[in-house]
Amino acid sequence: MEATIEVRGLRKRFGSTVAVDDLSFTVGPGRVTGFVGPNGAGKSTTMRMIMGLDRPDAGAALVGGRPYRSLRTPLCRLGAMLDASAVHPARRARDHLRWLAHANGLPARRVDEVIEQAGLGSAARRRAGGFSLGMRQRLGIAAALLGDPPVLMFDEPVNGLDPEGIAWIRGLLRSLAAEGRAVLVSSHLMSELEGGADHLLVIGRGRLIADTRVEDLLAAASDGRVELRTERRREAMTVLARAGATVTTSGSDALIVTGPTAERVIELLTGEGVAFSGISAHRASLEEAYMELTKDALEFQAVAGGEAR
Amino acid sequence: MTGGTGPALQAGRAVRAEWTKLRTLPSTAWLLLALAAVTVAVGAAVTGAVDTSHCVTPAGCREDTPKLALSGVRLGQVAAVVLGVVAVGGEYATGTISVTLAAVPRRWAVLAAKAAVVAGAVAVAGTAGVLGSLAAGRGILSGNGFTAANGYPPLSPLDGPTARAAAGTVLYLVLVALLALGAGTALRDQAGAVTAVLGALWLVPLVAGMVGDDAWRDRLDKYAPMSAGLAVQATRELDRLPIGPWAGLGVLAAYAAAALLAGAAVLAARDA
Repeated sequence: MEATIEVRGLRKRFGSTVAVDDLSFTVGPGRVTGFVGPNGAGKSTTMRMIMGLDRPDAGAALVGGRPYRSLRTPLCRLGAMLDASAVHPARRARDHLRWLAHANGLPARRVDEVIEQAGLGSAARRRAGGFSLGMRQRLGIAAALLGDPPVLMFDEPVNGLDPEGIAWIRGLLRSLAAEGRAVLVSSHLMSELEGGADHLLVIGRGRLIADTRVEDLLAAASDGRVELRTERRREAMTVLARAGATVTTSGSDALIVTGPTAERVIELLTGEGVAFSGISAHRASLEEAYMELTKDALEFQAVAGGEAR
Repeated sequence: MTGGTGPALQAGRAVRAEWTKLRTLPSTAWLLLALAAVTVAVGAAVTGAVDTSHCVTPAGCREDTPKLALSGVRLGQVAAVVLGVVAVGGEYATGTISVTLAAVPRRWAVLAAKAAVVAGAVAVAGTAGVLGSLAAGRGILSGNGFTAANGYPPLSPLDGPTARAAAGTVLYLVLVALLALGAGTALRDQAGAVTAVLGALWLVPLVAGMVGDDAWRDRLDKYAPMSAGLAVQATRELDRLPIGPWAGLGVLAAYAAAALLAGAAVLAARDA
């Protein structure tokens, strides 16, 4: 059983809206793959098609080389949390996990193990209706882990969580990937994936905009830029611009310089007697890289404002 | 991780999952209790309101006492309808249908498993309600002049026609619950499905009562799910029924099968 998700030419239309448009990608083992795009970009629909919940108009999705709906014990192949609120409020958390275990012939001990792993503890005996969002997320994650699957998929798992919860999920995703599993995690905020994902699939209006390693993306976005601090901003900008550099401000006293190397910047500013400090090669944030990546996709920006799904 | 993966094993797991799901909702126990209790209570009340004093001679009443004692199912069936609808409608209302279909991707297997556990639960509660109704009726009837001396032997589930009426009534409740399950699956909306099923059960007899033409009234009684299905309760003058006891139950079974098929078709064709 390969730990992969393969999506080939996936297409889905709801009425006159094209939700997913000829989407192809592969999610590989041993890494966390971020699935990023604004709300309405088609992330959830793609995940639902991977699980056979929505039928694609064209294309196919394979989990470990097989269509999801042909799997006999799907929970042992792919674990997913698509919607943390999808639990019956009157049912106890443990019972929710128990019926899932029964559906795939999993032993009762797995229920106790995932309750432990997800940190549900004694709350597992309570009815899910009284759960906070954070507890529901933990229950959803426990359900995803139940079959000890090689492939995991989470739709907006950190949405609405407190920093502690976000850190916990990030650590969990990392450790699952470190065990060699394929982990696909969606978010509409690139910043949520900062430090959490190894690979990125960027999607806009149902189309794939980028399929890249996070490292490569950051390197490209940071390319040759120098960051420095100075109290004499105006003079520094004049000096550097005269030398052919492109300078942008960042915060009250920071400048980002594109063009000359750090050594040349030091030489120029020292030569003109402009005091500065904290000069370094600029490292783009994932958010910046994302903006850079998507700024040309005009139709993508047009859609970034609204749309529900 | 687990043993074989044959179709029987698959089906068994789906049934076990649905059973766990059904019994871990507090509403299930209440609905089953209501099903039995309302059937007994209403049956007893109706039976208690009838005595032989209004007849010229007690034997001349020609009262169908088993049918009288079992009349509580007309109201008790509401619980069966709600249980059938909620078993699937609750999944759409709470969004757990996606979780269910992720665990059991074969959609017809999910519906079949739901049908099995709903039928089983209703059969048990229905049997309790029917036996309770016969026991209550037995005590009440003899006090109201329906005695063996007057040609009314005490009610017994071992007596041929009464046994058929009793078993048929349990089957009636099971079929009504399955009809509701099918409607809930097809409509995906709990309020809508409960309304539709109760309408189909009660509206037609109501209309039939207002129809003047005998031939049309007979036709409505013959093909309406409730009046046809409850023909199975009759123990006297069977030749005067618009439809035979088992044939009538067959009509209801056809409605239930049609509803389940419609539900299965919708479940298979539509996105979850």
